[in-house]
Amino acid sequence: MTTPLVEDSTGGLKTGDTLLEVDNLIMRYKTKQGYVSAVEDVSFVLHKGEALGLVGESGCGKTSVALSLLRLQADNGEILGGEIRLGGKDLVPISEDEMRRHRWNDVSMVFQGAMNSWNPVYRVGDQIKEALDLHWPERLNRAETRQRIGDLFALVGLDSDAQDRYPHEFSGGMRQRAVIAMALSCNPQVIIADEPTTALDVIVQDQILKELKKIQADLNMSIIYISHDIAVIAEVTDRTGVMYAGKMVEFGDTGDIFSAPRHPYAWLLLSSTPSIVGPRRKLAPLEGEPPNLLDPPSGCRFNPRCPFATDQCRVEEPPLRDIGDDHQVACWNYEQVPVGITSGSVV
Amino acid sequence: MLKFIGVRLIQMSLLFLVFLSLLFFLLQAQPGDFSTQFLDPRIPPENRDLIAARFGLDAPLWKQYLTYMGNVLQGDFGVSFQRYPRTVVSVITERLPRTFFLFTFATLLSYYLGFVLGKVLAWRRGGSQEMSITLGGVLLYTVFYPWFALVMIWFFAAYLDLVPVNQFLTPLRWRDAPFSANSVFTSIIWSTLLLSIGLGLALWASRKPDNETQRRLVKWGGVGLTVAVFLAFWMPHEQRTYATDIAHHALLPIFTLALVAFAGVMLITRGSMLETLKEDYILTARAKGLAPKTIRDRHAARNALLPVTTSFVLGLAFIIGGGLITETVFSWPGMGELLLASVLTQDIPVAIGALAMVGALALIAHIIVDVMYVFLDPRIRYQ
Amino acid sequence: MALEQKPPDLEIGPPITGLEGSDDEPIIAITEPLWRIRLRLLWRSFKKNWGLFAENRIGLVGLFVIAIFAVMAIAHPILMATAWGGDNREIYDPVIGYDAVVKEFTVVEEVTDPLSEIELIDARFTNINAQVGDVIEQPQQPASPSSRHLLGTDPLGRDVLSQLMFSTRAAFFLGMVAALVTVFIATTVGSIAAFFRGFVDAFLMRVADLILLMPLIPILIVIGGFWTIELWQLGVIIGILNGFGGVAIVLRSQALAVSVKPFVDAARVAGGSRWHLIFRHVIPNVLPLSFLYMMFGVTEAISLEAILSFFGLLNVEMSWGLMISIAQAEGYLLRGLDVWWLLFPAGLAVTFLAAAFFLVGRAMDEVVNPRLRKR
Repeated sequence: MTTPLVEDSTGGLKTGDTLLEVDNLIMRYKTKQGYVSAVEDVSFVLHKGEALGLVGESGCGKTSVALSLLRLQADNGEILGGEIRLGGKDLVPISEDEMRRHRWNDVSMVFQGAMNSWNPVYRVGDQIKEALDLHWPERLNRAETRQRIGDLFALVGLDSDAQDRYPHEFSGGMRQRAVIAMALSCNPQVIIADEPTTALDVIVQDQILKELKKIQADLNMSIIYISHDIAVIAEVTDRTGVMYAGKMVEFGDTGDIFSAPRHPYAWLLLSSTPSIVGPRRKLAPLEGEPPNLLDPPSGCRFNPRCPFATDQCRVEEPPLRDIGDDHQVACWNYEQVPVGITSGSVV
Repeated sequence: MLKFIGVRLIQMSLLFLVFLSLLFFLLQAQPGDFSTQFLDPRIPPENRDLIAARFGLDAPLWKQYLTYMGNVLQGDFGVSFQRYPRTVVSVITERLPRTFFLFTFATLLSYYLGFVLGKVLAWRRGGSQEMSITLGGVLLYTVFYPWFALVMIWFFAAYLDLVPVNQFLTPLRWRDAPFSANSVFTSIIWSTLLLSIGLGLALWASRKPDNETQRRLVKWGGVGLTVAVFLAFWMPHEQRTYATDIAHHALLPIFTLALVAFAGVMLITRGSMLETLKEDYILTARAKGLAPKTIRDRHAARNALLPVTTSFVLGLAFIIGGGLITETVFSWPGMGELLLASVLTQDIPVAIGALAMVGALALIAHIIVDVMYVFLDPRIRYQ
Repeated sequence: MALEQKPPDLEIGPPITGLEGSDDEPIIAITEPLWRIRLRLLWRSFKKNWGLFAENRIGLVGLFVIAIFAVMAIAHPILMATAWGGDNREIYDPVIGYDAVVKEFTVVEEVTDPLSEIELIDARFTNINAQVGDVIEQPQQPASPSSRHLLGTDPLGRDVLSQLMFSTRAAFFLGMVAALVTVFIATTVGSIAAFFRGFVDAFLMRVADLILLMPLIPILIVIGGFWTIELWQLGVIIGILNGFGGVAIVLRSQALAVSVKPFVDAARVAGGSRWHLIFRHVIPNVLPLSFLYMMFGVTEAISLEAILSFFGLLNVEMSWGLMISIAQAEGYLLRGLDVWWLLFPAGLAVTFLAAAFFLVGRAMDEVVNPRLRKR
């Protein structure tokens, strides 16, 4: 085949060019008790060919960010501000019908828990065909569709014939592979992988991650990884954003963040995670619970759990500031955070 | 598949025999005695015994039971006490098509409408509209059915005078009819059965072609063709006027029964849709950029259909009971009316026969649903 | 009602020190008696579940309707002892009462409005000199509503309101019997089937299948036709058929889910006997679901009673179904709105009370099944 299987549909963007820009995104869920601020003033940039990670505890708003990018937040969720610019076009104000044309075609998604991402009553191939019928520029006939799905399956390491099977006939790993094939089917510019491997056992998890990483490198894909699993993010991403209580608290090169986190939350999060390399150290527990987003604490949202909190932190909200090396931190006292992951007992 | 159907058939036949045995003993235990109910009290006791012996009623119970079951296996349900000397089978075969007709139409209508409305209702969750439809559905579901049927008769037949009051035909018009009512009935049943198969085939075939215009062409072409064939069959038919007479009479009972059964289906579909809508694959479908209507019909409703189908089995007993009441209230001379009449006149052979037939109807419908389920849910493949 | 319980707010007594193992941390003793803790737990879970229930307006509507009927049921004996008692008893008794409401009729050749006109031939029965065009006084049965009979009288001259209220008691009584029997049978059968598994399970479930498949109404008609059944017997029969059928199957799967929970294993390891496990651990956790089906059972019992008494197959003095049956037998129903007091009060009473229990059941369903909640 002369044409590549998954084409570059980004209109001649070169690696490193800005592909997706999220600016001051605010998304809140309306509940009986009031607004839950799930995504508060989040900004980041995704470059062409880059793997970006979003990491944080569950409930910190990572998935809400992902869903907002496709405008798929639950019925009671509202995007109250900010811009999501894909190739320069803002997706927030456009109509729902127009948004539907962008979904999957430009931004596709690998969902959390692939087990349930498949409709149990249709064949796997038919469910991919559904997306192709909708978004592929020209109408594919039956044989062409089969051919395309077969090629995609080969790419993720599945048999072409597997497309005639039902989801329940697949193992967990196969389903996840098929989900990735489906995400690739319409040549999207961006793939969002929301906990792509969480429900799988460790061996399969590793295989799938390697597969994803290889596909991303081969095809020069732009992927946003979302996970609570620090190891996953560290393994596959180029740059990482750390989220806490709906806010982006640190953003920068993955290597920098994992070797020398500057935000107390990121630092505590990493210190509480065991590692089998490096010197032996005592794990620092991350104490307390994430705040109630119905009524977030004033000032820095992390201040009740932060060992470095000062009076300023309790009143004034720290902005996300550049501290050099394309590294941003939202903390008043980041200088006090020890450099490197050390023993937990600081205070 | 065939083996599965075979196994189910055998199971159901056994179940039927158990049911029949229970019925036999249940009715043996009833306090009355046929000789006091059907014989002239002036007949001397010797003759009374002779008559009992002729019907085999003097034999010990176990022997009566064995004889009865043996006869049933040969398709003989005995003779009617009330309509002596007509056999139970002849009485039932006269009545069965009428009940089948009523039951099938009302069932299909109620399930179709209930499913469509239920899915729309779940899709537009919230709001006073939904609440009032739900309340209305619950009221219809729990309505005192005989009374509701009477109100319907009063409103549509007496007040609006749209349909005839009772009976399943107009006796005057049939006085010198060259055919029996049942032969007309049979033609109606067969032709409508073929009509619905034709419509089903047209809808099924319309999903095959790849492009939208072709699909539409096949769909409406198929529907049009089937309807045309149906009309071409009936328009020149010699029984046409008689058939329309029956259809005219059947309208209100079918509608009433369907209306009540429909409410339950609607409520179940709504509940099952609401659960389906929370599934992850609905989110996937939305992420794929599918249109809301496609998500609702192809993804949500298709899966919501499974519990609805299961509930069909449970609803069968309900709709058969409802059918019985419908027949009685509308004086529709079918199995239900026969059952009630035989019970009131203590005609035990007919009562057992009618109840057995009603039970058999439920069992057969059950098997059909089982087979349908296999086609609907790929996760179930009977070996 | 919720299946999981949260730990109670315990009253904590003063720390007991000086005992073994109390070097580092004092042992915390609970000084409050166990029953009070249980009671408070119960109260708390009741409050929480009531909150969930009350969110559902439809359920509240159901409760409200049931309350209205309950007031009617209670009010009837009181009224019979006071306003309708004494000499009025002969007029207002729901079964043997009689009141000829005298009304003026116009004598005509051909009756077009039977409520105000009377045919000559009928008029001469009581008034031999009646002529066409005369206005004569005649007893009216059924009589239209008046201040004396708020809902009029039935074709036999009995007070409809009194009948309606009297029948409410019967409906509640029947519903109660049927519901209790349903819950008792279904919980027992379901728990036993789930707990013993194997042959017992298979046997009980096949019986349940058989009962479930069989249409209830025709069977009840046959039973009612050949035997004389009383109201409580009907309740028991409905309870058995209902409880052993569908409800037992549902409760069995619930009990199955419960019986593999860790706390049952813990109790088993602690040496609990089979019956102890069933009665103290499995059944209490299945009961919430049973109560739910109890509500649906009441709905069904009320409808079935009305149907059977409509066909005259139930040995009952007075009931809503019977009221409709009498009105129909006397040929009044096709007159529709002209005799609305014969047609609507009884028919709507059956419908509304059955619907009310159904609505409460549905609202409880949302409390018991978290999957159904909005969010």
